[in-house]
Amino acid sequence: MSEIKPKDSGDDQDWAAAKAFFDNLKTKVPRPPKPQNAVTIAVSSRTLFNMVAERKIFVEDGLEKYVAYQVEHENEPLKPGAAFPFVKALMNVNTRLRELYPDSEELFDIVLMTNNHAQVGVRLINSINHYGLTIERFCMTGGNSPIGYLKAYLTNLYLSRDSKKVTEAIEEGIAAATMFLLEADSGLSDTQLRVAFDGDAVLFSDESEIIVKQHGLDTFFEHEKEFENKPLAQGPLKCFLEALGKLQRKFYAKNERLNCPIRTFLVTARSAASSGARVLKTLRSWGLEIDEALFLAGAPKGPLLQKIKPHIFFDDQMFHIEGAKDYGTIAAHVPYGIGQKYHKGKLIEQPEKKE
Amino acid sequence: MVSTVQNSDVRQKDVDHAVVVAVTSRALFESDTEEDGDGAYAAGVAFPLLQALQRVNEQLLQRNPAESLLFDVVLMTTDSQQQQSSRFMSSTRHHGLEVTRFCFSSEEDFIESLLKNNIQLFLTTDENEVLQATQKGVPSVLLDEHSAVCSSEQLRVLFCENAIIRPSSDPTPASRQAAQSFSSQLGKMRQKFGMFDSPLCFTLVTLRGGKDSCCGALKALRSIGVSVDEAYCLAGAPRSPILSLLRPHFLLSDGFSNLDD
Repeated sequence: MSEIKPKDSGDDQDWAAAKAFFDNLKTKVPRPPKPQNAVTIAVSSRTLFNMVAERKIFVEDGLEKYVAYQVEHENEPLKPGAAFPFVKALMNVNTRLRELYPDSEELFDIVLMTNNHAQVGVRLINSINHYGLTIERFCMTGGNSPIGYLKAYLTNLYLSRDSKKVTEAIEEGIAAATMFLLEADSGLSDTQLRVAFDGDAVLFSDESEIIVKQHGLDTFFEHEKEFENKPLAQGPLKCFLEALGKLQRKFYAKNERLNCPIRTFLVTARSAASSGARVLKTLRSWGLEIDEALFLAGAPKGPLLQKIKPHIFFDDQMFHIEGAKDYGTIAAHVPYGIGQKYHKGKLIEQPEKKE
Repeated sequence: MVSTVQNSDVRQKDVDHAVVVAVTSRALFESDTEEDGDGAYAAGVAFPLLQALQRVNEQLLQRNPAESLLFDVVLMTTDSQQQQSSRFMSSTRHHGLEVTRFCFSSEEDFIESLLKNNIQLFLTTDENEVLQATQKGVPSVLLDEHSAVCSSEQLRVLFCENAIIRPSSDPTPASRQAAQSFSSQLGKMRQKFGMFDSPLCFTLVTLRGGKDSCCGALKALRSIGVSVDEAYCLAGAPRSPILSLLRPHFLLSDGFSNLDD
């Protein structure tokens, strides 16, 4: 037994030993990149896998019975969850990146970040192996908050089914979204990662949305026209879009723009004529590109998303999330900004906060 | 020369069934400073650990007043001055610590004292003492200022791969065996509590291998009766951010890892 906190060379030694470990494995598993080089995506167990039946046992019969059940069934793989297609798409991008840049560590690193008890971990790892997912890092916190660990891994995006944890992550400056169950799947691409974003309060701050909610659409249009050349402030998912852009440029540099395995979409209720310009100019001022910008001028997002078929769609308003789900799109809620206080344009009566 | 004095303030444990933990006077007390004018020493770096051990005992006895699988904490000191000795004893009483015995020995004889008292875990702030004790097959932990900020409410034990043992102290078969049986004892203790709100918590960290190494370690620990509560697989990611969140009281790394580094 010895000290837990060795002097600095500990980290380097770990890194070198990990490299050696993975390089020597008989089945060639790609070794995970250093967190500071990678785009780290943290997924919870319930977003990666469908754990509805197990969750029911937890809620109805308590923790001990739940863990016992999981242990009893640990050799039975779990079914895929809402984030599963997204994770597979990330893996595909990594494969393409490794082909073009064999020595680069600028890759996606997928981390399993779960509150689950470690004994449930065996079933989770068995399931990960069953589907051949490249997830080598995980934190099973046995009930403790994941926030500190998200920061420790320099997480770029956190997906969970627990909106409390997601809200906490956003408050701590980590891009995060709440996922919902979806009876999958309809013909998602397996060669291209497709990510769709709402604009206000997702990529951008909620400053304009506040104007709509409090002063109405006309004021909003006037305001946006007047401030067309003033960039909007950034929203919680701007940095994630930035990370995607950085990886996209690696493909462009190798002449793969037409064949790029990452495609991004902006799906906004703004209209191109009156309020769209400010959005595009803001993106330009940030040096960010978005592949397709779709201005709906208030039309429902569902049908359009159904055509786009993204692996994930981020929006701050539950109204749009529900609309997306109605049309079979995997939607993730970003609990940020003024949109949380409203539903379908009406102010929500805040219920008593339960502890 | 080795001698033992019982602490009459504290109920003696059943030494055949208890887990005997020795802590040195220098780890337990700050002998440079005095507390209150009472003549008692101030708390040292081992305090939170001791309080956590006590809490485990309290909760075990609450569940079963006749419980014999408890922590039996003894104070070891190599300070030979008579005056120091009685101050250690009075400081122990002053802080209401659950120390059952005081073991006095010279520096040369302290290993003998450890073996004679059947010590299963030795806590010290002295690196040399750790080395010597480990070589004789006594599981030992080096405490430092990090220990002082650990929880006093929950005993957190970290199981980690062999990888971080210093090269100069290769585990002997004896120390492996001792560490394994100590881990099993802890495992039995852990079983007496539920999963939620336990005063004893086990964490597994693998630093270098991938998920399959970690899974293997989880199962290996299960096979010696240790059911870990939390698990972290770092796969080469920097260890300090994660370890600083975990704040374990001590680390166990022998006796369960059947995987090569």
